[in-house]
Amino acid sequence: MLDMFNVYLPIAEMQFNALILVAIGFSVGVLGGFFGVGGAWVVTPALNIFGFPMAYAIGTDLAHIFGKSIVATAKHRKMGNVDMKLGFMSIVGSVIGVEIGAQNVMWLTKLGIAGPVVRYLYMFLLFGLGIYMLYDYATKDKRAAAQAAKVAEAARAGLAPPVRKSWNLPPMIHFPASGITISFWTVSGVFLFTGWLSGLLGVGGGFIRMPALIYLIGCPTAIAVGTDLFSVLFSGAYGCFTYGIKGRVEIIAAILMLIGASIGAQIGVTAVKYIRGYGIRLLFAIMIILAGSSVALKQFNLTTAAAWLVMCAALGMCVVIMAKLWAGFKKEHAEKAAQAGKGGA
Amino acid sequence: MKHYLVLILNFFLLTASSTLVWGAAEKAEALEKKIGNLDKLSGLNYFFASWYNDNMWVYALMVTVIMGAVGLLIALVTDVLLKMIGMEVHKIEHHE
Repeated sequence: MLDMFNVYLPIAEMQFNALILVAIGFSVGVLGGFFGVGGAWVVTPALNIFGFPMAYAIGTDLAHIFGKSIVATAKHRKMGNVDMKLGFMSIVGSVIGVEIGAQNVMWLTKLGIAGPVVRYLYMFLLFGLGIYMLYDYATKDKRAAAQAAKVAEAARAGLAPPVRKSWNLPPMIHFPASGITISFWTVSGVFLFTGWLSGLLGVGGGFIRMPALIYLIGCPTAIAVGTDLFSVLFSGAYGCFTYGIKGRVEIIAAILMLIGASIGAQIGVTAVKYIRGYGIRLLFAIMIILAGSSVALKQFNLTTAAAWLVMCAALGMCVVIMAKLWAGFKKEHAEKAAQAGKGGA
Repeated sequence: MKHYLVLILNFFLLTASSTLVWGAAEKAEALEKKIGNLDKLSGLNYFFASWYNDNMWVYALMVTVIMGAVGLLIALVTDVLLKMIGMEVHKIEHHE
């Protein structure tokens, strides 16, 4: 019955179900808008499961990521979640880092150890980041109480409140949108490092940059999400063009995915409005641990199971995000109605 | 002014060596392929496939521009739709 949705893809020279492409785009759009990532780690295995030719998978994915990032970044900007200055710095640092990482992969390939090194590093990173973020979430109240106690103690003793230690090597740069002042070297080093990691692992790097913006640079979570998407926009445009030149973009498939992704991205971005920073971090931690489990399955040659796991995790997370959005929207609506009622009375 | 000069110098020091590495990097291979039976295609499919065969640079440019344009268009339309159902967004306060 679903054959009626089949469309002809002129570049791949095959029939493919348009509904599948729109659905994959939609779910990755929700995740991308909410977490500030491109989502190639979901799209490529999902396309693989449904028999999309792999020669076009990455290029087509990057093309739709570019279009989707425009939608999501525009909306995040409206919400004040994009730090342009930080975003531009991240682009420059990341491009350089990516190329160094790519060179390192070539060197590892010559040594014949690229495959296992990249896979184990990828798993370590996904599990490590996920577990750290879960720990951070679990201990946030305890840390807040300890900090409040320190401030209260300092006030009783008539001293200034304790200042957080940071590395202040000049020149210092102020980022008004994020409300932080930080050493140029720290920012450049962090973006060079995250870019290097994404080049080494062969991934877009959104899932590395987003936590780095929070934990290493000190951005509020929503700004980390928006700023990361701003960087993804540029890497997506670059990827779309270069893969296009190489003939690896199936344009009809990319447009269909973009339609789904753009709608999904609007939902994902709007959900950021209703969920507090730590809530986003918690969901992100769960998502990357599941993605890490999928990579682990691949390590044991369970490729199909790995692809299904990451796809089901993405769909499940979409449902959670949409449910949170709906609950937040209803609550806001009820509050507005109550205020209007009070005003009327 | 001095602040900017320091910034530029620092940035140069940080990027010079890695830019050389970048320039020497090996790039991914192009897919050497021509689409056969163009006569069987029509409309948009014919348009895209013929540019794909004729000039890959124009095809790549077209793909990039179309993706950007479609993205912008959908952003505008869905924004209006979401506003209609009361899901419009404004600047938010950042709560952790």
